[in-house]
Amino acid sequence: MATVEFKGKTFEVDEDGFLQRFEDWNPDWVEYVKESEGIKDLNDEHNKVIEFLQDYYKKNGIAPMVRILSKVTGYKLKHIYELFPSGPGKGACKMAGLPKPTGCV
Amino acid sequence: MSEQKPVNAADIRAVLERNDSARLRAWLKTCASCGLCSESCFFYLANDNNPEFMPQYKVRKTLGELIKRQGEVSREELEGMKEIAWARCTMCRRCSQYCPFGIDMGLMINIARQCMRTQNVCPERLMNIDQSYVEFGNQMQIPDEEFVETCEWMAEEGQATIKDLEIPIDKQDARIMFIVNSREPKYYPQDIQEAAIVMHVAGDNWTMPSHGWEATNLSMFSGNIGVAGMVAQSVYDAALKLNAQKICVTECGHAYRAAKYEGPYWTKQPNGQAPVEVTHAVALFHEYMKEGKIKLKHKFKDAITLQHPCNLSRSGDLGEKADELMEMLCENFIPMEPHREWSHCCCGGGGFIPMGPDYKRTRMVAGKVKAEQIKKTGAKYVLVPCHNCTDQINDLNKEYDLGIKIVSFKQLICELMEVPPHMQPEEEDE
Repeated sequence: MATVEFKGKTFEVDEDGFLQRFEDWNPDWVEYVKESEGIKDLNDEHNKVIEFLQDYYKKNGIAPMVRILSKVTGYKLKHIYELFPSGPGKGACKMAGLPKPTGCV
Repeated sequence: MSEQKPVNAADIRAVLERNDSARLRAWLKTCASCGLCSESCFFYLANDNNPEFMPQYKVRKTLGELIKRQGEVSREELEGMKEIAWARCTMCRRCSQYCPFGIDMGLMINIARQCMRTQNVCPERLMNIDQSYVEFGNQMQIPDEEFVETCEWMAEEGQATIKDLEIPIDKQDARIMFIVNSREPKYYPQDIQEAAIVMHVAGDNWTMPSHGWEATNLSMFSGNIGVAGMVAQSVYDAALKLNAQKICVTECGHAYRAAKYEGPYWTKQPNGQAPVEVTHAVALFHEYMKEGKIKLKHKFKDAITLQHPCNLSRSGDLGEKADELMEMLCENFIPMEPHREWSHCCCGGGGFIPMGPDYKRTRMVAGKVKAEQIKKTGAKYVLVPCHNCTDQINDLNKEYDLGIKIVSFKQLICELMEVPPHMQPEEEDE
């Protein structure tokens, strides 16, 4: 387990760089992660994805399938990858503060 | 957290008896501690030849103890064995090839895992996945309807590339019933789309089942053979119900081993074989290329190497085909040394990736051997026909700064193949 300090805030992260506790998420976390995820500038579309992932996670305790993410946001798969180059499972979930997905991933 | 229930030695003995403990005892006695297995093991090599990583030592400290004491061990001892059986061995079976007596140490570690799993001693993330298989039939809690909808969505978006692309669900009498890894519908649906495009362009008669579509079988690695058998059975049942000629497993290593080699044993098939023939994407694509069903615009030009997944090329029969497919697709294929069944495990297998972040450090240390194998080829592209290998080699890429790009066969074929004019969508602005 490691600790990350950014803008005077501390975040505990796991070995894969995911937040240890979802409750620790705040917008600074997104700022901190974006560069390692290959994102230059954050826009409203990134935020829309992040907000949906968080809502879904709060309700269901797991990350949604990409299909649901696409349906709710209206973004095609290609566009989701343009927004989050390392993909919806790893990049977008990490930024939204969700834990590392379970299983073969 | 592990509850402090006393260990039930009878449960452990039941596993030992079921696995013919005479054979296991003979193996343990036959082992002369010659040490020839040591240098075959990437864990041993990557951990400075520490004797605690010798395959024979790992077997003695786990299964050997369980047999000797007939399961009469404490929970603390089991916890110690857990760190050996799961975090120091991927059951890649490379050591068996170097043992002068042919002792299958990978299998012995697997039986040790089965013993421990009866006591709920198992890396937690891996153990939790068993429950998802029971409730949903797959490892990622995906309802079947959402799987089907994802396929429909991928067919629709894929029509931008291939006119009339279809992903047929529950089609009767197909030649190929294709099954996938949960991560594909859940996080990487483009994988399904690419496989669909290749099969469509090849003109195959194929389908996917709406239930029994999950190819993975992580319970084989958690040691829960009851669940592993249930997962294998639902794949066989789907193929029988649809009257498919063959079950084809996606580019995944352990799923092939589970469906083709282990599944028939778990599900007690009378002739020891799967009720429907099991094949793999590597063999399917090999056939398409060989028979000219897929034609290329040109071969891949850059230097590229191939990761031989242990469960395809060592525990399975696909080493030669994978190499031949590379030759058919690439101009400059540089095999790793050693390769095929002699290649090292990348340390993503045996449950390591799903064991999660707690085991990542161990994975990165032991993966050094694979990182060096890749580096030595000088290739900047690595073809990886397995999901766990893909994730591990991606992590190794970052850890050891390899500067490589990882591709799958379907991805490469989609990039290189000729699409017949009647399948090309009408010109319009995207």
